[in-house]
Amino acid sequence: MKLNPTQTLLAMLAAAVILAFGPLVLPPFYVRVGQLMVYSAGLAVAWAILGGFAGYASFGNAAFIGVGAFAAGLVEGNISGIAPPLLLLVGLVVGGACCGVLSAAISYPILRLRGTFFAIAMLGVSHVCAEVTNNIDFFQGSLGLNFPSVVPGDIDPANYFYWLYLAGGLAVLLIAWQIRRSRFGAGLLSIREDEDTARMLGVPTERYKRLAFVISAVLTGMLGVIYGHSLGYITTESVYRDDTNLSLIVYSMLGGMGTLFGPVIGAFALVFITQVLLARLLDFHLFATGLLLVILVLAAPGGVLGVTRSFSLRRRPSPVAAE
Amino acid sequence: MSTGILTVDRLSKNFRGLAAIAEVSFAIQPRSITSIIGPNGAGKSTLFNLITGYVEPSAGEIHFHGRRITGLATNRIAELGIARAFQIARPFRDLSVHENVRIGALFGKAGARDVAATTGKSLELAGIGHLAQQPANALTVGQLRHLEVARAIATRGDLLLADEPCAGLNPTETAAMIDVLRRVRADGVTVVLVEHDMPSVMEISDRILVLDAGRLIADGAPAEVASNPQVIAAYLGSPEPEAA
Repeated sequence: MKLNPTQTLLAMLAAAVILAFGPLVLPPFYVRVGQLMVYSAGLAVAWAILGGFAGYASFGNAAFIGVGAFAAGLVEGNISGIAPPLLLLVGLVVGGACCGVLSAAISYPILRLRGTFFAIAMLGVSHVCAEVTNNIDFFQGSLGLNFPSVVPGDIDPANYFYWLYLAGGLAVLLIAWQIRRSRFGAGLLSIREDEDTARMLGVPTERYKRLAFVISAVLTGMLGVIYGHSLGYITTESVYRDDTNLSLIVYSMLGGMGTLFGPVIGAFALVFITQVLLARLLDFHLFATGLLLVILVLAAPGGVLGVTRSFSLRRRPSPVAAE
Repeated sequence: MSTGILTVDRLSKNFRGLAAIAEVSFAIQPRSITSIIGPNGAGKSTLFNLITGYVEPSAGEIHFHGRRITGLATNRIAELGIARAFQIARPFRDLSVHENVRIGALFGKAGARDVAATTGKSLELAGIGHLAQQPANALTVGQLRHLEVARAIATRGDLLLADEPCAGLNPTETAAMIDVLRRVRADGVTVVLVEHDMPSVMEISDRILVLDAGRLIADGAPAEVASNPQVIAAYLGSPEPEAA
């Protein structure tokens, strides 16, 4: 069943409203899992704006989580006397802006690379940012950086950050949805399919790639700011994580690469599998997760939504028969 | 040189000392169908690559509607109204036929656009309206050729460069493609073809340009070119003497 834009919007809002009741009915452990789910989904959708829509799979988006979090933490730590929500807003703006500037600056050289070369170069960016944060005293990456509290006094912090992640994730999803429906989104899809042909059709490929890269980085950085606040104290290791870099790709592969909702489905499914189903397997759970992913990728390379799509296509008459 | 919708003036392209195109000049008249023929390696596809900005010329000028387009980016040239259908069909395989053509309509020539109407018209003009909802990766070779043309004309270009649109097609499919190109021209689009299928070339062309080793060796009406001794020697060859 294909939903029209109004139905899609209502479905997204309804799902968000239902999820918002989570902290009111779930035990604390599941609220923590829920936090991780909606945070991961937001990051995955932000990643997919470039990685899924345009086919430029970044293996280093943790760079923007770290830059966003550290920039916000450093600025917020030097501000006093303003209300917590305003302080968070300042952090979001600063974190997002720093990621925007960084991504815009590196977009010129790095987006000349394609495929594996781009992915590995982004991993390099992530590691360079981590090293800079760790080795330059100003950033306090090795000692750690405290975040001022932005939680209103009478709200459980776990619940507050769950809702904050949910709002952030929904905002990212709505932005990605608008991009997907737009001329810009169609251009990104054509870049993913065949960049040279896209250019021949008049798609301004360089400009579109850079714009998608910057949007993805800004949104990732803003989610990184919320992540920093939810931890309360960050070090280089807690934000520049290679397992995050890997997970962002896996979420899209699992749910459906290039789709809007695939990364959300993938993030929810993988977080649930690793944090709930396999959580009691201790060291074995990483092996089990890896094995599960290999099986899923081999059996369903298009992800969950790819399987759904192939079923719907099978129902159509073949093009040869249609002639 | 007379002016036309497209004028190519002393265009050259060297690849590490090898002259792929050497001092080629011609002008294409509006609403005409011009075929470029020549043996393999004559520089036909390179000429298309130069016109569309895919590679930069070593020397010479290209003007489109009187505007110099030499050195412009490929997408800027498409925005000015030059569309191209590739020799090897390059569909967006994970998208449907309709989505493929819609992307052409969304971009291409700058200016006001009615995407839905252009997409529908292009699909019908290329004779693949009935395949609109099919995934591009399920099409036959012949259908892919039609999709290539449909997507190119959806860009609303004034000039269509079609690189061997009949390659690999059987006689029935070739006739269908010729019919499509005629309809495209009737719709006001100037067509330049690179083609090896000589019966098709003779049937459809108003004018033929012959390239050999990067040089333009003949330029004229089909009958005129077919009887040109230089063209016969370089490309067409002499008819086999009939067995007694």
